[in-house]
Amino acid sequence: MSSLNASLGTALSGLIAEQGALATTTNNVANVNTPGYSREQPVLVASDPVVLDPLTFGTGVTLQSVESIRDPILESQIQQQTQAQGQYSTLSSALQQTQVNFTTSTADIGTSISNFFDSINQLSTNPSDLSLRQGVLTAAGNVANSFNTTANNLSQQQTSLDLSVVQQVGQINQLTQQIATLNGQVSSLQNVGESAGTFIDQRQQAIDQLSSLVDVSVIPSDNTLTLITGNGAPLVTGQQSFQLQTQATPSGLHDVYSQGNNITSQITSGELGGTIQARDAEIPKTQNELDTLAAGLANAVNSVQVAGFDLKGNPGTDLFTPPAGSGLGAAANLSVAITDPSLIAASSDGTPGSNGNAEAMYALNSQPIIAGQSPTDYYSGVVFNIGNDASNAAAEQSASTLTLQQLNDQRASISGVSLDEEAANMVRYQDAYSASAQVITTINDMMYATIQMSTLTG
Amino acid sequence: MRVNPNPYPDLLAAASQTQLQINMDEQEIASGRSVNLPSDNPAAAGQLVQNADQTSQTDQFQRSIGSIQGEIQNADSALNSVTTALQQAISLGVEGANGTVNSADRAAIATQIQGIQGQLLSLANLSYQGNYVFAGTANQTAPYVLDSSSPSGVTYQGNSGVNRVTLGSQFSLQTNLPGSQLFSASGGDVFQSIQDLITSLQSGTGISTAVTELGAANNYISSQSVFYGNALNQLTAQQTYLSSETTQLAQQQNTVGGTDLTAVISNLTTAQTSLQATLEAIGQTAHTNLFEYLK
Repeated sequence: MSSLNASLGTALSGLIAEQGALATTTNNVANVNTPGYSREQPVLVASDPVVLDPLTFGTGVTLQSVESIRDPILESQIQQQTQAQGQYSTLSSALQQTQVNFTTSTADIGTSISNFFDSINQLSTNPSDLSLRQGVLTAAGNVANSFNTTANNLSQQQTSLDLSVVQQVGQINQLTQQIATLNGQVSSLQNVGESAGTFIDQRQQAIDQLSSLVDVSVIPSDNTLTLITGNGAPLVTGQQSFQLQTQATPSGLHDVYSQGNNITSQITSGELGGTIQARDAEIPKTQNELDTLAAGLANAVNSVQVAGFDLKGNPGTDLFTPPAGSGLGAAANLSVAITDPSLIAASSDGTPGSNGNAEAMYALNSQPIIAGQSPTDYYSGVVFNIGNDASNAAAEQSASTLTLQQLNDQRASISGVSLDEEAANMVRYQDAYSASAQVITTINDMMYATIQMSTLTG
Repeated sequence: MRVNPNPYPDLLAAASQTQLQINMDEQEIASGRSVNLPSDNPAAAGQLVQNADQTSQTDQFQRSIGSIQGEIQNADSALNSVTTALQQAISLGVEGANGTVNSADRAAIATQIQGIQGQLLSLANLSYQGNYVFAGTANQTAPYVLDSSSPSGVTYQGNSGVNRVTLGSQFSLQTNLPGSQLFSASGGDVFQSIQDLITSLQSGTGISTAVTELGAANNYISSQSVFYGNALNQLTAQQTYLSSETTQLAQQQNTVGGTDLTAVISNLTTAQTSLQATLEAIGQTAHTNLFEYLK
């Protein structure tokens, strides 16, 4: 039969275990608003029983461990969605900025092209009039300006995106270093069998932050983690982090290197992926379209211009400075080649009153001179493309934000601290503690009674 | 099932999403446009670019018509004066052909017709805003100059060039007739026939033939001058057409990119109600948990 002393020990184990459990609740309540904190739960197990043939007596309770409640599969889904969200929000905000250049104003490219052709139509009504000729030159200058301004804005945006690439790589390096350090703390605690919940939470949060920057895969191994980018470039192995480097290309933009390999084009998600996509794909695409438009327009106008005669009866010369053969930089460098309005070749027969060539120039307005399209149709396509890309990116962003929100909601439903639950637990632990204390009092009474009994008999 | 104990981030995200919708609706109402950025509706944004270009072209065609009208009106009235002058010369010629008129009277009539000749010369050299209207495209110098060595008494210095001006997407108009076609056409040469009449009056022979010749020239130039009347009519018709096109383009612009106020205001009201509800939900969830009841 079990002794009173043993019962006292059993009751004491209850006191200790409930105290520990209460400490867990206290910690949960204290961290109710800590971002990334996963609620902790005491793991209580019955102590090994004592067998006194033929009976078996329990020996109380042990607080075996304190475990953090989290779902690793959910965590990895959150990481993926965080990457997508980072990518699309960066891309979307870049495209929002880009598309502002293509809203209809008094000085946008579309309006300036319309005004240019309008000025030629006006000149056609009185081709020898110098003020109308000046009107054409001014309108041509405005066309050049609108292309120059838009192209410069795009380049500036590209430069600022490039700066973001460098900054984001810096942030990634900081986070991977932090994660490597946390890996060390987690494994040193876990190696001696202790709970590392807090460090795991911190590490998880750093990984979430890293996920918003770059596509990252997490490979868990014994008590530690290995992180690689989507294409396999190492970021963290155990307690070692691998820094990414940036290096300027001849164009002035920075490529991203890992262990000496250029991985720029392989980074496809996270904020860094979105930034690179905007810098290296979206903006160059729009720049190319503008170059095609500027070069096509300048070349077509020039070829009509040289086929006619100016006010003095001389053969016409280029109106726009001829763009480079490749068309590269045509929008940024478009400029008007003449300053004397009498040099506009409105005449088709060399007489000052002829408007035949002005009419030919006006007709370019509706001719397929830009990649098989009229200038306005082509420009309208440019506006559609940028609008479509911006709208798609925004839709992807809001979809991934919504999914991420749902996943975070799910994570919170598993790992979040509920004050109701903690209050209930507190009452439970308090009651159990009181009960154990009561048991000790009772045993005390019994012992006293036993001692009294021995006094009586002795 | 365990639920998310901290619904605030979700509620706040929902509130900010609704606030975004409210901002967009308000912007749409304020601007009167549903497409403020290309991404609002990419296809509509593309169409609006084309609409803006077509509207700009149509407005320009109206301005160009205005610029052309003056010159054509002047040309038309000049040609009317030419016809009047020619008819006057014909009457004088008929008078001179009468056998009862003596040579001194014929000389006086010839002098009168010389006056008309001068008038015709100045009409043929009509200049409008610095351009000689009947000079073809060589319009910076006077087309007709006196030339005693020429049988008609004048020389044509213009050319036979004509201009056409585009005044609609499918419409262009010839805006001038050269003097060579109006005054110096073979079989209807105004200056030749008036010179012949003067010569015949001075000599007293062939007056009737000269009058007939002048009559033919007058008929010819009258038939040619219909061109300007027609041109004016076509310009007026085109103005009407362009006005209706402007209206149509404005309607299209409104259909494609305008605000459907009823719909937007209804959306806005819904969004505002939803925002209010969300905020109230946040306010109410804020204070309840079990700790409150454990006393």
